Amino acid sequence: MSTASTSFIDRRTVVDWLGIAPFMIFAMMFLILPTLYLVTGAFFTPDGQFTFKNIADLFTPSILSAYWISIRVSVASSIGGAVIGFFLAWAIVMGGLPGWIRSGLLTFSGVASNFAGVPLAFAFLATLGRTGLVTVLLRDWVGFNLYGTGFNILSFFGLTITYMFFQIPLMVLILTPALDGMKKEWREAAEILGASTWQYWRMVALPILWPSLMGTTLLLFANAFGAIATAYALTGSSLNIVPILLYAQIRGDVLHNANLGYALALGMIVITGVSNILYILLRIRAERWQK
Amino acid sequence: MSFLVLEHIKKSFGQTQVVKDFNMSIEKGEFVSFLGPSGCGKTTVLRMIAGFENPSDGAISINGKNQNKLKTNQRNIGMVFQAYALFPNMNVFDNVAFGLKIAGMNKAEIDKRVKEMLKLISLDHLADRYPYQMSGGQQQRVALARALAPKPQVLLLDEPLSALDAKIRVSLREEIRQIQRQLGITTVFVTHDQEEALSISDRIVVMNAGRADQIGAPSEIYNRPATRFVASFVGTLNMIDATVADPAANTVKVGENTVKLKESIGALKGGDKISIALRPEAGSLSESAKGDTSITGTVVLSHFLGSVIRTKIDVGGNLISFDMFNSPDTVQPQPGETVTLRFNASDFLIVRD
Amino acid sequence: MKASKALAWFAIAIGVIYFFVPLIGTFEFSMRMRRGAYSFDAYQSVFSDAQFQSTFGFSMLMALFTIIFGMLLVVPTAYWVRLRLPQMRPVIEFLTLMPLVIPAIVIVFGYLRLYNSSSWIPFTGSIQGTNMLLVLSYITLSLPYMYRSVDTAMRAIDVRTLTEAAEILGAKWPTIMFRCIFPNVMSGVLSGAFITFAIVMGEFTMAALLNRPAFGPYLQLVGANRAYEPSALAIIAFAITWFSMGLLQLVSRFSKMAPSKA
Repeated sequence: MSTASTSFIDRRTVVDWLGIAPFMIFAMMFLILPTLYLVTGAFFTPDGQFTFKNIADLFTPSILSAYWISIRVSVASSIGGAVIGFFLAWAIVMGGLPGWIRSGLLTFSGVASNFAGVPLAFAFLATLGRTGLVTVLLRDWVGFNLYGTGFNILSFFGLTITYMFFQIPLMVLILTPALDGMKKEWREAAEILGASTWQYWRMVALPILWPSLMGTTLLLFANAFGAIATAYALTGSSLNIVPILLYAQIRGDVLHNANLGYALALGMIVITGVSNILYILLRIRAERWQK
Repeated sequence: MSFLVLEHIKKSFGQTQVVKDFNMSIEKGEFVSFLGPSGCGKTTVLRMIAGFENPSDGAISINGKNQNKLKTNQRNIGMVFQAYALFPNMNVFDNVAFGLKIAGMNKAEIDKRVKEMLKLISLDHLADRYPYQMSGGQQQRVALARALAPKPQVLLLDEPLSALDAKIRVSLREEIRQIQRQLGITTVFVTHDQEEALSISDRIVVMNAGRADQIGAPSEIYNRPATRFVASFVGTLNMIDATVADPAANTVKVGENTVKLKESIGALKGGDKISIALRPEAGSLSESAKGDTSITGTVVLSHFLGSVIRTKIDVGGNLISFDMFNSPDTVQPQPGETVTLRFNASDFLIVRD
Repeated sequence: MKASKALAWFAIAIGVIYFFVPLIGTFEFSMRMRRGAYSFDAYQSVFSDAQFQSTFGFSMLMALFTIIFGMLLVVPTAYWVRLRLPQMRPVIEFLTLMPLVIPAIVIVFGYLRLYNSSSWIPFTGSIQGTNMLLVLSYITLSLPYMYRSVDTAMRAIDVRTLTEAAEILGAKWPTIMFRCIFPNVMSGVLSGAFITFAIVMGEFTMAALLNRPAFGPYLQLVGANRAYEPSALAIIAFAITWFSMGLLQLVSRFSKMAPSKA
C-alpha cells in the first residue's frame, strides 16, 4: 500500500499493539494472574513444595459433599429453569399470542435475570418463609399447612426454586432468538409430507433445537454453580455449597490449609470452565445447522 | 377430465381481499404457472391448494374429491418452497425419506424409493451430505425429490427458483419441467418471472390484484394479451397515445403518421383518444421490408446491448422502444436521425383498460 | 391450532405466577411492620437509616467510577481492535467472557492473595487502595456486558468506514475519537452503563470479602438482624434494577430510531 521504509512499518505495528496494551495489562493483572495464582497454588503445599495432595484432599467426605450439594442444586435449578424457560419461550415465539406479551416477557426477563443476590433471598423468604404471604394464604384460604408437610424455604428445595427465579428468565432470553430461527417453512414442509404436530417436534424441531437447549442448560448450570450471595442470604452456612465453603475459607481459613482453599477454587473453575466450553461447542453446532 | 379444480375461490385477510373469485381447471399431467407481481395473490392461491390457508369462500377439488375439509397432512400433495426448507438436522437421504417414513413404509422400500429419486435428480452421490454443505441449486433439487418421493397427486412449487443464481435458474427450470414430463404429475408453479413462466408452462394464469386476468398458452398470453396489465407485465411493451383518424378505415394518427390497424376501432369516433400497444421487436428499419403501414420519427438514443440494438424513437411525443438484432452489417441509428419503421397492421394492439 | 394457543396461555400463566407472586409477597411483607395495619413504616425505617444512606451512596459512587473507568478502558480497546487488530478479536472476546466463567468469589479470592498488604502491589494495604481494588473488580465483573454492548454498537455503525471518511476529510485521531466515534456508540455505552449500574448496586461477594461498606453487604446485614426492613430493601433493589433496565430499553429504542447503516 504505502512505499514507506521498513522502520516506519515497524513503528506502525508497535503502535498497533500499544493500543491494546492498557486492556491487556488490565486483563493480566485482574483476571489472568489472580486465577493463575490460585490454580498454581493448588498444586503446592504451604511450604512451597509441588504436590497433588491438595487435589486429593478435595475428595474427603466433607468437601465432596459440598461439591455434590452444589452440583445437585445447580442441576436441579438449571433443568427446572430450562424446562419452564423453554415453555415460556415457545409460548411467546410460536404460541400465537399477542405481540405485547412477547415484548413484556422479554423486558421482564431482562430485569429478572439480573435480580439475583441478597434481595432475591429476601423476596423468597418473605413469600415462602414461615410467615410468608403464600404460606399464610395457603393456611387461611385453603387450610393447607405448607410447613406441616416438611417444606422449608431454608433447604435444598427452597434454594433451587429461588435460583429458578433468575434461571428461567435467562433461559427465555437466550432461547427466544434460537426459536425465532426456526423457519416456519420447516413446519410446513413437514406437514405437507404428512407429519402430525408431534411427529414434527419429535423428528424435526427438537433435534434442531437440542444443541441450543442443552447448551443453555449447561450455561444455567455454570451460572448456579458459581453463585453465592443468594445462598448466603437464604440458607447461610446450613446448606454447605462450595461457594459458601470457599467464603468461609477466605474469611477464616476453616480448612486450616490455604492451599486447599486454592484447590477448592480450582475445582470450581474446572467445573464452570468445562460447562462453558461444552456450551460454546454446542452453540457452534446449533449455528452451523441454522444457516 | 379436469384433475385440479378451483371454483369461485375467494380469500380475505381481515378487511383486505387478497383473492377475488378465482376459477381454474387444470388437467391431469398439466404444468400450469401462476404469474404475477408481488401481492397479486398467486402464492395465496397456492397455499390454499396446499391447505395452509383456508378459502373464505369457494371449493378446491382434486380428482373429484373436495379438499376443503382436509388438513394439509391429509392431502397427499408435494410442495417445493422458495427457501428450500430442507430439514437441517437430516442428510439428503433422510430428507427425501421423510415423507415415506411418516407414511409407514418399511426400510427396504424406503431405501429403494429414495435411491430412485436421487437418481432422478442426479444427486445419488450426495446422499450423506447435509443441507449446509450444499449449494442452493443442489438443495432445491433435493427438495424436489423429497416432495415427489411419496408419489403425491399434485406438485406445488412456490417461486422455487427466485433464490438462485441466474444460470442455475435456467438449467434448473429445464430440469424441473423434464422431470415433471417424465412423471406426468399435475403441477402448479408460482413465479413473478415471465420468462420462466413462458418457457416451461403448458398454460399460464396471469394474476393481477387477486384476479386471473388471462388464462392461456404462453404464445397466446404473449401475442394476444387480453388486458393492458397482461400486455405490460409479459414482455416489454410500448404504450402509444394516438387519436382516431378514420373509424371506418381502422386508422389512427400517431403524431404526424397515419397508422393502419388490423383490429376494429369499434365505437370510437374520429378525434377520440385511443391507446395502442406495440412490441419492441415488431417492425423493421430495412428499406426492403414489406408492411402495410409505417411510422416515421426521430432517434433519441441508441444502446448497443450485444446481440440486440435498442433504439428509442420519438414519434409525435411518444417514446417508442425499438429492438433489432445485431449483425455485422447493421448500422446503428444515431441520435437526431430520422428513421422510418415498417410494420404490419397486426403488430398493433388496441389496449382497452 | 387451538390447543397450542391454550397451552401457550397456560405457560404464560405459570410464568406470571412464578415471577409476580414473590414480588407481591415481598411487597406485602414489607408493609406489615406496623401491627395490625399496612403501612410504609419499614420503608421509612430504611430510608432514615444512616447506614442505608451511606452504603447506598458508597455503592453509587463505586458504580460511577466503574462506569467511567470501565468505559475509558473498553471503548478505545473495542475501537482499536476493530480498526487495527481484527486478528486479536477472538482473544479479546475470550478475555471479556472470562468473568462469566470464573465465579466472582474465585476472582476476589485471587485478588486477596495477590494484592494483600504483604504482596507486590498492596492494594488492600489502605482504604483508598482497597476502594480502587473494588472498582477494578467491578470493572472485571461488568466487562462482558460493557464490551459486548459497545462492540455491538461499533459493529452497527461500521467504525472502519467512519474513521476512513473522517481521515479523508482531514480529522486527527482525538477528533475522530471524541466527535465521530463516541457520540455514535453512545447507545452502546449507555446500555453497558445501565447494566453495570444494576450489577454494582446489588453486588455482595466482592464488597463483603474486601470489607467495604457497600450496599450489598449492608443488605445482608439487615437481613440477618431485622424482620421487615429486608423485604422493603428487596423491593427497593428490584426497583433499582427495573429502573436501570427500563433506561436501557429506552436507549436501545432510541438507537433503533437513529439512521441505520446503509
